[in-house]
This record gives sequence, C-alpha cells and structure tokens, in this order.
Amino acid sequence: MQLFNNIKIDWLGKRKIFYVLSVALFLIGVINVIFRGFNFGIDFKGGREIVLQYDNPIQISEIRNLVQNTSLGNLEVKTFGGETGVLLRTELQNLPSNLFPIVVANIEKEIDKIYPGLPRTIVDSTSSTVTYELPNHDTTTALVAKLFNAGYQAGKVSESLDNKQMVVNVGISEWIKENLRGKIADNNFIVVKEGYVGPKIGNELKQDATIAVFFSLISILVYLAFRFKFIFALGAVAALFHDVLITLGLYAALYGVIPGLNLEIDLTVVAAFLTLVGYSVNDTVIVFDRVRENLKIHKTMPLIDVLNMSVNRTMSRTLLTGGTTLLTTFVLLLFGGEVLRAFAFTLFFGIIIGTYSSIFVASALVLEYAKRKDKKFQF
Amino acid sequence: MKEFRFKIILILAAIGLSIYLLYPTYQNYTNNEKISKFVSNRQLELKDAQPNISKIELDKVEKFIEDSIKASDPNIAKTKAKSIKLGLDLQGGMRVVLEVNTGKLLEKLAKNPDDTFKKVIVEAEQETAISNESVVDIFARMMQARGIRLSRYYGSVRDEDSKIVSDLNTSAEDAVSRAMEIIRNRIDQYGVSEPTIQRQGSRRVIVELPGIAREEEAKQLLQGTALLQFNLVKDPQTTFNIMQRIDEVLAGKIDSTVDKTNKDSSITNNDSLANQQLSPEEFAKQHPFFSIALINPNSQTADAYVSEDQKDKLQLMLNRPEVKAAIPNNVEFHFSAKPFGQQDGKSIYVLYLVNKTPELTGGVITDAQATIDPSTSGAIVNMQMNSEGASDWARITGANIGKRIAIILDGAVYSAPNVINKIPSGNSQITGMANMEEAKLLEIVLKAGALPAPVSIIEERTVGPSLGEDSIRAGFKAAIIGFILVTIFMIFYYRRAGEIAAAALIFTVLFILGVLAGFGATLTLPGIAGIILTIGMAVDANVLIYERIREEVATGKTVKASVDSGFAKANSAIIDSNITTFLTGIILYQFGSGPVQGFALTLMIGIVASLFSALVIAKLIFNIMVAKGMKINLG
Repeated sequence: MQLFNNIKIDWLGKRKIFYVLSVALFLIGVINVIFRGFNFGIDFKGGREIVLQYDNPIQISEIRNLVQNTSLGNLEVKTFGGETGVLLRTELQNLPSNLFPIVVANIEKEIDKIYPGLPRTIVDSTSSTVTYELPNHDTTTALVAKLFNAGYQAGKVSESLDNKQMVVNVGISEWIKENLRGKIADNNFIVVKEGYVGPKIGNELKQDATIAVFFSLISILVYLAFRFKFIFALGAVAALFHDVLITLGLYAALYGVIPGLNLEIDLTVVAAFLTLVGYSVNDTVIVFDRVRENLKIHKTMPLIDVLNMSVNRTMSRTLLTGGTTLLTTFVLLLFGGEVLRAFAFTLFFGIIIGTYSSIFVASALVLEYAKRKDKKFQF
Repeated sequence: MKEFRFKIILILAAIGLSIYLLYPTYQNYTNNEKISKFVSNRQLELKDAQPNISKIELDKVEKFIEDSIKASDPNIAKTKAKSIKLGLDLQGGMRVVLEVNTGKLLEKLAKNPDDTFKKVIVEAEQETAISNESVVDIFARMMQARGIRLSRYYGSVRDEDSKIVSDLNTSAEDAVSRAMEIIRNRIDQYGVSEPTIQRQGSRRVIVELPGIAREEEAKQLLQGTALLQFNLVKDPQTTFNIMQRIDEVLAGKIDSTVDKTNKDSSITNNDSLANQQLSPEEFAKQHPFFSIALINPNSQTADAYVSEDQKDKLQLMLNRPEVKAAIPNNVEFHFSAKPFGQQDGKSIYVLYLVNKTPELTGGVITDAQATIDPSTSGAIVNMQMNSEGASDWARITGANIGKRIAIILDGAVYSAPNVINKIPSGNSQITGMANMEEAKLLEIVLKAGALPAPVSIIEERTVGPSLGEDSIRAGFKAAIIGFILVTIFMIFYYRRAGEIAAAALIFTVLFILGVLAGFGATLTLPGIAGIILTIGMAVDANVLIYERIREEVATGKTVKASVDSGFAKANSAIIDSNITTFLTGIILYQFGSGPVQGFALTLMIGIVASLFSALVIAKLIFNIMVAKGMKINLG
C-alpha cells in the first residue's frame, strides 16, 4: 500500500495559510496562559497531596461537601483514575495551628475508647506530631497497633524493648482522612498515594525543568548546526519552540475542561515535553536531510522548488513515522493508567503539532530567511 | 552465506545474551509467585486458628515466613539480585528526601549564643528557604554585615572568618555522614528489605524504603535524635547462665505445645550442653536458643554469634513473655550493628548481654577522631569528653578494668572495647579496629551521640502497593496493545517487509529488557512508558528505509541495488534524527529524579536497540533474501 506517493503540491506557496494557523493556535495558547495560567502539581508548587481509593464508586461532590468543614481553605478535590479514586491537595505545608488541638482531642478520644482511663502524658509536640509517654512497653505496642488500625498514623518512638513512647502524626493528610473516614456508608477507602514537597524543592525542580528544556533546545541547535547549515538548525529549533509553546497553550486551555483528564504539570509532564523536543525534531531532520540532498543534485533549481519537492517526497514517511508513534501514545493515553495520562496527552498532541510544524513551518522559516538575505544555499 | 556469517553470529550472540540476562527476572517472578502463594495460605491458616490476630502480628508473621523461605535457598536472593528491579512507583514504598538542618547545627556548635546570634540564625534560615546558598555562607555574610567576627562564637579568637566558615562547612558535611549512619542503623534494625540510602549533594540524604506500610513509624526512624550510650558488658559466666535459662525455658515451651497431653514434660527437660551427641534436629529441638545463637567454648567471652537470617527469629524468641521473665530486670540483649564476619555466604552478627542502665550517655563526648597510631600503625579512635563526663569516666574505667564497655547507638552495639586502665582525663583511645574504615565509622558513631544531626524532611512520596500493581497492569496492557497495533499496521502497509520490521521490533523490546537486567537498572512506570514510546519510534527507521527503497525501485534499479542504496541513503536521516532524541535523553537523565530517570534510561536504551534492529538485523534479513533470490514485497 502506498499513500501520498506522487504528490506535487506547492506547500510553500501557501505558507501564509500555515502562518495564520500557527499564529492563531499560538494566540489561543497565550490568551489561555495569561487568563487561566497553568495547573502545576505539587512537584512545582509544593504542598501535600493524598489519593484515596474507595471500595465503591463515589460522587466527587459528596467528597467536596465532606471536606468543606475541614477549614483547610483552598483544598482541591478531583477524581483520580476511575469512579472510585479521589485526589485531594493543598498548598499548605502544615496543619493550621487552630486545628491542632481538635485533632489531638480526637486522638485522646480514640485512646480512651481503646483503653479507658489509660494514664498518659504528652512529652513532646511539634507542628505535625504529638508524642505520648505511656505506662509500659506492651501497652504502648498494643496501642500503636490499635490506633494504626483505627486509621491514625501512630508509631513507636524506638524499637528498643523498653520503649514507652508513642508518636502520632497530626498532619494535614491525617486531618483530611479523619474527616472522610466512615462518613460514606458501606464505602471505605485506603490511601494509595501520598506526597509532600517542601517549598524549596518545588522551586528547585521548577528551575531544573526550565534549564533542562532550554539545554535540550540548545544542544539540538548545536548538533544540527554542525550537521546542516546554521539556518536549517535555526529553522528546526524555531519549529520546536512553536511545538512546545502551542502544546503548553493547549495545556492552559484544556485543564479542567475534559472530565477525567487531569492535566497538571508535574515532573513526568516535563519529561514528556523534553521527549517531544527530542522527537519532534526527527521529522524536521528527515525533510532537511532531503533538502540537503536535493540542493546538491539540483544546483540551479530555485530554493522554493527544492523545498517543495523535498516536502512532497518525504510527506509519506513523515506522516508514517509520526503516525506509528502517535498510535502508541494514543494507546498509552487510553490504557496506560491514570498516572501516565497527562504524560501521554502531552506527547499525543505534541507529536501532531510537531509533525505539522516539520512539514509546513520549519521549511517555510528557512525560505523566509533565505528570501530576506537573498542568499543561495550550498552544501 | 559466508559473507553474512559474522553478522549472524553477532546477532545470535546479542539475542542469546539478552535471554541469558533476562532469565533471572523470569525465575524471580516464578519464585515470588510461589512464595506469596505459600505465605497467603499460611496466613489464612493462622487467621482460622487465631481469629483475633491483629494485622500487625500477621504482617510480622508474613515477613518472618518470607524471610525464612528466602534464607533457606540462597538462589532466591541470587536471582533477585540479577533480575530487573521495580521502582518504588511500581512496587509501592516510600521515598524521603532529608536535609540536614544546618541552622540548628550552627546553634548547637556555637560557644555562647546571644540574642543577636539567634536573630541572625533565624534570618539566615529564612533566606536559605528560597536560596541555593548554604546556611553557613549566608550566616557568615550577615554577621560580617553587622561587623561581628565569627570568632566570637566559633573557634579561637585569632581564627580568621574564612577558616571558621570552612570549618563550619566541614561540620555540616560531617553531619550528613552522621545522619546517614544513624538512619542506616535504624533501618537495619527495623528490618526493611533492600533500603537505599544515598547522599545527594552536600546536605541531603535520599532514603528509599520499598514496601513500607507504616509511614509514620518510618518517618520517626529517619528523624529522631540518636541515643548513644556506654553500657557495661556482663561477665561471661552470668551471660552464659542467663542464656542457658532462656534455652531451657524455650525448650520447655516447645515441648508443652507439641505434646499437650503430657503436661509435665516441660519439667523433665534438663539436658546440659555437654550432651553434644545429638543430631542437629534433636539439638535444635532441645536447645532452641543455642541452636541459633552459637557460643564459642574456647573464647574468653560469652558473646553469641547469630547468622543474619536467624536474627528476626531470635528477636521474636527474646520478646516472648516467658523468656522475658527469665531475663533479670537489670540486663538486656543487643546485637552488633555490623556483621562480625561471614560464614557460608551469610553475615554473622554478635549478640551481647549488657547492663540495662548505661554507665554514661553520649552527650558528654566533645569530639572523636579516627587516626593511625604511629607506634603500631593500627587504626585507632581518640575520644574526648567534657569535664563532667571525664570524672564519671575515670570512676567507671577505674572500677571496671579488664571488663568490656559496649558503645551502643540506638540499640545497636558498634564496638565493645576492653577497659585496659583507668582514664582520668576523659581522653580515651579505642584500639583494635581492623582498618581505617572501621575507625571512621566509630568516629561517626561517637560524634552522633555528642552532636546531633538534625534533619528535616523536605520531600516525601508514598505509593501504595495497590496503585503500583494497577500501574504495572495498565503499563503492560498498553505495551502489548501498542505492540500489536504497530505490528498490524506495518504488516498491512509493507507486507513482507513489514513482517521483517515486526520481527526486528520483537528483538528491540528483548534487547531493551536484556540491557535493563544486565545493568541492574530500575524499571519505573515512566520507564514502561518509555518502552511503549520506543515501540512506536523503533519502526521509524524501518519506514525511512522502506520508503527509500521504494523510491529507488521506482527509478528502475534492480532489487539488490535498491536495497543497498535504500539502506545507505536513509542512514544519515536515521542517525541525525535519533541522535537528537538521544541528546534529550541524556539531559533528562541528568536533571530528572527517580521515575523520570527510569524513563530517560529506557528511552536511550530503546534508541540504541532499535537502531541495531533496523540497521543490522533487518538489513541482514534483506541481504539474505536478495542473495537467495527471494522476492521482496514492500506492499
């Protein structure tokens, strides 16, 4: 089977159309970035997140109502995976101090339920834990186990055989869990994922990610400049910027729009963007490789014709190579599970835009430059 | 065919090697299936027998059964070490990044911290929360801005600021080593299988604990302050007597549970250890304690030697109420922190019996250094104490000449040196270390008691095992569906040539997995995504080559010539485009952490593997087909 075999279309003559299309896509992105911004995950924002998996399907609005009275202010609630998963997130680092005594009181109540009247003293309390001293080792061990089973994050202070101290976590995630536990009849949950990122790490990761994307663009520019003429390298990298920016714009435009698609920028999404940078240049290289070859063969042909001929001759393989990869990212998007969904989405749309820009934008930019400089290319 | 012989051998070798490297992974998988089946059966039995058993008890039993199965067959551990490892995001577990709290350390080290000092420390800590500069540097700068010399708080009066800054920076780095040793010691005792503890940069420690269910307990292990104590080791006779009593109690207990009808059988058991003519099974039955805690009869001490796989079992024995009753209240058992030696490939630990009340705690130590003794050229550790500690120390050492004092950090014995003479000044010398490394470790341990290494958690990620399993399932499903779709497409579009590409694709995946296993690399969820992506990208090279061959055929060339020039002309585009992807892979590996690195790794391996499959394997198949005069169908 052969597709697009002998096409002879003057793509570059119609380049204005593609400019308009690209600029329009770009503007949509920019407007969305300005007005909607990005939805960063805790990797970059810092904060705490917790993912719960219920036994049976739940209504997300029900969960929202239940966490309304946690007084945690800006608590994000969304679905995770199917109908039974829920993700809760806050940018707060620690439990607000006014809630601390409430949680401790609850722990006390629970202890009294297990061992009524057990003598105990609080020997230490930090912003996120409270440490009890109990009469003896065995009670401590038993109480730790029972509190843990009751859903509290309790632990022994040391593994030594005369340990009488117990530490209980009084963190944000405990407070959230406490507000949800047993509230929905016959539907319990387990915690499947928890994360905490300190403010410093968040900033560092953001910095690292920016540097990494920038570095990969530079290294591609240098490599291509070494293999092709500098202007081709510049055209390819400009096309890459085009791909990355439009995909980013798409992120800003689409998060929260498609139900079940959790589009937030975290580390794996940055990895997807970097992969996009590395992969989407492939198609551009295929076209430019042919331009390089044709420039050598047809020395007298005008550049626009060489470019058109090269684009037409490589059309089928550009679409095929992009297509097979697109196929696997699509499979990943559908079947790869919740954790990889945003990653797959980035690559899926990134590759579509990357293939488009390789065919219609990169060569056009080279042509514009050549026209302005009125130069002839030689290899 | 002769011309192809070298290539055929090369390809077969690559395939053979990959299969060889992957075999342990397969074996490990079947081993795990067997073990988990066995364990879950035992758990069900236990639940039937004791319906009230708590989840924690069950987990303990599970871990114990698992460990003993693993210990019984060394091959299980061997295949596991050689198989592809799963990242925390796939097997579940906890990853924590800790940072040494330099501000607290500076406060601790300062000679006479006044209000100005405290104010500056707080400001410096606030600034460091958003800056990359170290707290020491910020602190020094702020002090200089106020016109205060650092020698007011640190070092001696004549010291230059720059010297003090470099000393403080060294102390901060030392604190990281201490924190790592404290954490490693605790995790070892807690019994997490395959933890990783690594240093990142100058101030951070990354701890990965696979399969941790009790998060809070684990966090406590990482953050608590270390307790260093000096306890007197009990004399051999007392130790042996206590051990013998434990042994008898345990033997009696076993008899009474096995044979419930004969109620007085527990009293009749009074064999002495001298009766050595028993078979190993009988000995184990009659001396449950001494069969796993071995005593060297020729030694001056009564230290017991326990192999690593028996440690948990012994700990469980010691925790039984009837055994506890047999141990006097004023003594306790402690294991050595590090193995004493190796036997039959298993590490041997030492079990000490020491006085429960410490003679001294680590707070009195002011400094410790590992050095080489100039006269004997052996590794030694010098230890200094403050005046209060020194006077206690003089009394303790004076009263216990010839006895041993165990140096215990968080319940693990690091060393148990003999007291040779009375030490009046607190300046002690500990000898008998095998090498400088051991001395360095003891230095760290001694300092850990004196100078705490305050750490705070700056990043924490926990993935439950159920999410990990879901992720693996989803990943494999996507990989198989992706593979099938790409294969169908290639065969549909390129017919016979597409079949060759499909075969090359199988080899590509095989090579990726083989290399992962060979390097002992970790497979993460993004890593699986990388493999899926590679499946889509690997056929790109085939597409480029086939399209080129079609073009060549269209110009009227012979099939052989078309194949040759098709491969030759597609080369430059294939190499150029793959190198750019590879470059971003390298950058991703550099900047990423954990899961993202796993992705970068599979991506890079995938590129190399797919190039080999397309440019060597597929080309060879084409060449052989041309040489045999077979018809090549490009669809």
